[in-house]
Amino acid sequence: MHRLWAASVFLFLYLPLVVVVVYSFNDSRLNAEWVGFTLGWYRELLRDGDMLKAAGNSLAVAFISSLISTLLGTMAGIAIQRYRLRFLNFLVMAPVAMPEILVGVSLLLFYIQLMDMSLGMLTVVLAHVAFSVGFVAVVVRVSVASLDERLFEAARDLGASPFEVFRRITFPLILPGIIAGFLMAFTLSIDDFVITFFTAGVGFQTLPLRIYSMIKISVTPEVNAVSTLLMMLTLFLTLVAMRLAPDALKGKA
Amino acid sequence: MSDRFEKMLLAGVPMIFMLALFAVPSAIMLLASFRYPGEFGGLAPISEGRGLTLETYRFFFSDFIYTEVFIKSIAMAFLTTAFCLLLAYPLALMISRSPKRRRDVLVLLVILPFASNFLIRVYAWMILLGPQSALSKIINVFLGWFGAAHVQLLFSPFAVLIAMVYAHLPFMVLPLYANLVRHDPLLLDAAQDLGADSWQRFWRVTFPLSLPGVYSGSALVFIPALGMFVIPEILGGTRDMLIGNLIKEQFLVARDWPFGSALAIMLTLSVMLIAWIAGRMGARHA
Amino acid sequence: MRYLLLLLLSFSVHAEDLLHLYNWNNYISDRTIERFEKECSCRVVQDYYSDNEEMLAKLAAGAKGYDLIVPTGNAVESLIRQHALRPLDKSKLPNLVNISSRFMNTWFDPGNVYSVPYAYTITLIGYNSEKMKELGLPLDSWAVIFEPRYLEKIKGRVTVLDSQRELIAAALIYLGYSANDTSEKHWKEARDLILRAKPYWAAFNASSYIRELAIGEIWLVHGYSNDIFQADQDAKAAGRKFRILASLPREGAVLALDSMVMPISGPRPDLALRFIDFMLEGKNSAELTNLIGSGNPNKAAMRYILPEIADNPAVFPKDTKNLEMLRDLDYRQRRVLSRIWTEIKLK
Repeated sequence: MHRLWAASVFLFLYLPLVVVVVYSFNDSRLNAEWVGFTLGWYRELLRDGDMLKAAGNSLAVAFISSLISTLLGTMAGIAIQRYRLRFLNFLVMAPVAMPEILVGVSLLLFYIQLMDMSLGMLTVVLAHVAFSVGFVAVVVRVSVASLDERLFEAARDLGASPFEVFRRITFPLILPGIIAGFLMAFTLSIDDFVITFFTAGVGFQTLPLRIYSMIKISVTPEVNAVSTLLMMLTLFLTLVAMRLAPDALKGKA
Repeated sequence: MSDRFEKMLLAGVPMIFMLALFAVPSAIMLLASFRYPGEFGGLAPISEGRGLTLETYRFFFSDFIYTEVFIKSIAMAFLTTAFCLLLAYPLALMISRSPKRRRDVLVLLVILPFASNFLIRVYAWMILLGPQSALSKIINVFLGWFGAAHVQLLFSPFAVLIAMVYAHLPFMVLPLYANLVRHDPLLLDAAQDLGADSWQRFWRVTFPLSLPGVYSGSALVFIPALGMFVIPEILGGTRDMLIGNLIKEQFLVARDWPFGSALAIMLTLSVMLIAWIAGRMGARHA
Repeated sequence: MRYLLLLLLSFSVHAEDLLHLYNWNNYISDRTIERFEKECSCRVVQDYYSDNEEMLAKLAAGAKGYDLIVPTGNAVESLIRQHALRPLDKSKLPNLVNISSRFMNTWFDPGNVYSVPYAYTITLIGYNSEKMKELGLPLDSWAVIFEPRYLEKIKGRVTVLDSQRELIAAALIYLGYSANDTSEKHWKEARDLILRAKPYWAAFNASSYIRELAIGEIWLVHGYSNDIFQADQDAKAAGRKFRILASLPREGAVLALDSMVMPISGPRPDLALRFIDFMLEGKNSAELTNLIGSGNPNKAAMRYILPEIADNPAVFPKDTKNLEMLRDLDYRQRRVLSRIWTEIKLK
C-alpha cells in the first residue's frame, strides 16, 4: 500500500520535471502548448556564453558551499547532540528561521560596511554556507541521536582514539544523514536567488540571477534547456561520485 | 584531554563561523529595526540627531492588519508542512526499507528535480495548472458532474499550496529518511513475533521512533515556507500576500529597511514561540 | 620572446578594459554591444536587475563598481539626491543633440547634469483584439479596468501590475487626480476603487502576463507598452489568430523614462561616457526600439525604426501632455502607501 503511495509521490515530483524537459525541445518561444520538436534551444544555449558561464558558476558555488556546509554542519550536528549545546543549536538553526531577504541584506551590509570585502564568488559561497549549515546539522543530529552510546564506550574500552572512533564507527553509521544533508545544501545553493542577488558582486552571475532577471521578458525554453542539462550533469556527477567513492557511499552503512 | 579537544573542535569551528557570518550580520539588522529609514532607502545615518526609536514596532502593533498577515502565513506554512509530511512519510519509509544498493539511487531521484531551476519548476506548475491543462480539465469535468461551478486552478491559493508543498518536499523526505534508515529491523520482527499486525507495528514501533525525524523535517519545511514569497507572487491570484512578500516589499518596494527588519524579527520570534510550543507538546508525548 | 611578452601585455591591457553595465535584462541588443566592443576595443560586462528597487537596494547597501546604470526617472532623482552620481562631461557627448527636447530638462534632473535619456515605456491597457471586438468594451478609458459593469464580462481574464505605485497611479488618474497625488484621502479613494474591481481580476501580475496574453488566457491587462509589444510579437510568432494591441486611456497614463547615469564608484567613467555617446547615435538607439518596442527619445533614431513601431500611437503617442512621470515618495509616504497596499492585497 505505501509503495503505491510512494510511487505516486514520485509521479508528483517528476510531473513538472517532464514538462521542463519536454518543453526544452518545443519549437515555441511561448512555452504554452506543444508545437513541434526542435533542438534550436540547445543550439541557442550553446551560443549563449553568458548563460553557460552562469550555469558553471552555479555548479561551482553549489559544490564548494555544500561541501563546506556539510563539513561544518556535521561537526555542529554531532556537537549539539553529544554535548547538548543549546546555544550552538540556536546559532545554526536561526538562519533557517530568518527570511532569505534579511539574510541577504544583512550579509551585504556586513561584507561591505564592516569587512570592506569586495563582492564576488567568495562572498556568495560564504553566504550559502551560512544558511545551509543548519539544514545539514539537523539531519546529522537526527542520525547521531539514533546511535547506541554503548558502541562508543566499547570502542574506547578497546583503546580506540576519538578520531578512530569517529572514522570507524560514527562516520559510517551517520553517513546516510551526511549525504542527505549534503544533497539538501546542494539544492539550496543551486536554487538560491535572493541571498545570491545581494551578495554577488559586479560581473559575477549565477544561473538563478540570470533567470530571474528574465522574468519580465518571459522565460524562454532556453532556460528549460539549461535546466535540463544542469540536471543531467548533476545526475552524471553524482553517479560518478558514487562509483568512485569508497564502498561506504554505496550504502554499506 | 583529547576529549576536550574534540569538543572544542567540533563545536568551536562551526560556532566561530556562524558567529561571524550570522550573529554579527543579524545584530546589524536587529539594530536596523530600531533606526529610522533613510530618506531615499537604506537607513538614516545615526549621527543626524536621530538615534534609535521604537516607532517601527509601534507601527507594527498599531494595526491589526500585519498580525493578520502573520496568521494567514502561519496557516499556509502549517498546511504546507502537513501535506509534505503526508506525502513524504511513505516515500521515506519505502526508500529506507529498500535494498541498500538501491537506497542512494532513490534518494538521488528525490533530489534530482531540485537540481533544475526553482523558477522553471514554478513555471512548469503554471503550465500544469493552466486552464488548458489536462489536470484542470479533468477536475472541472468532475466538478461538472456534481453541478459545481467551473474552478480556475492557476492564480489561486490552491496553486500556491501545491507549489509550496512541491518546493519543500525534499526537506521533509531527507530528514525522515535519515532517521528511518537507522531503525533496527529486528524490532519490527520482534513486534511481529508478538502478534502485532502491520498497522500496529507502524503506529507502536516505527512511528514513535521516527518522531525526531518528523520534528526536524517539519522544522525544515515549516520555517522556510513561512518566509516564501516567490511562489505567491507568481502563482497567487489577488489575495495571496504572505509575510515573505510583506518583508520583501519593505526592502524592494517601500525602501523601509527598519520596518522590514522589525517584521523579520517578529517572524523569527513567532517561529521560536511555535518551536517552543511544539517542543512542549513533543515532550508530553514522549 | 620579446614579441610574446608584448602580446601577453597587450592581452592583459585588453583584459583590463571592462565596462560594467548594470542594466535591465534584454534592454540592449547583442549586436549593439558587439559593435561597441569592436569600436572601443573593450569588453562590456552586464549585470541585470528586473526592478529599479532591486538596484537601489543593492546600491543603498554599498555595492560598488558599476560604470553605468539605466534607472527610471524617480530612481535617478533618488540617486542624485544621495549624491551617488557623477556629473557628465558633455563635451564628450556630441550626440546629445539627438535627444528630443521633450525628454530633456526633466524635473528629476534639470539641465541633465547627471542623466541622458535612453528609452521610455508607457503604462497602459493591453488587450486581445478578437475578444475585445466580440465584447465591444470601451478601451479608451481606465474604466474598463476598474468598473465592475465592464469587468463582469471578462471576469478572471484581467490582470493588473503587481506594483503599488503603478496600480495606485492608474486608479488616481481614473479618479481625476494626478498620478503623483500624495494625499492619503485620495489614496484611500483609489484603494476603494481597486477593492471594488479586485474580485474580477485574475491576478496581480508583474511577470507572466506577456505569456498569458500571447497564449490567449488573459484578454485585458494593465501593463507596460513594451511588454504588450512583446506579447503581440509572441502571439504572431505562435500563429495566433488574434493580435495584442495597446490603448492609451484618454484620462492619461504613467510614462517611465529610463536614463543612463554614471555612479560615482564606477572605475571607468571614460568608457561609460563613450558608451553613452555611442548609444546616442540614431542607429544604435533604434536597434533597442526595434528589439523590444520601447519608446525612443532620440530624434536621429526615428528613421531607423520599423514603421509598424514608429506609427504605433501607444509606443509613440502624438500627445504627451497627459502622460506623467512618477516622482519618488518620502519615507513616511512610502510607509503609508505600503500599508494601503497590504490592505488591498489582503482583503
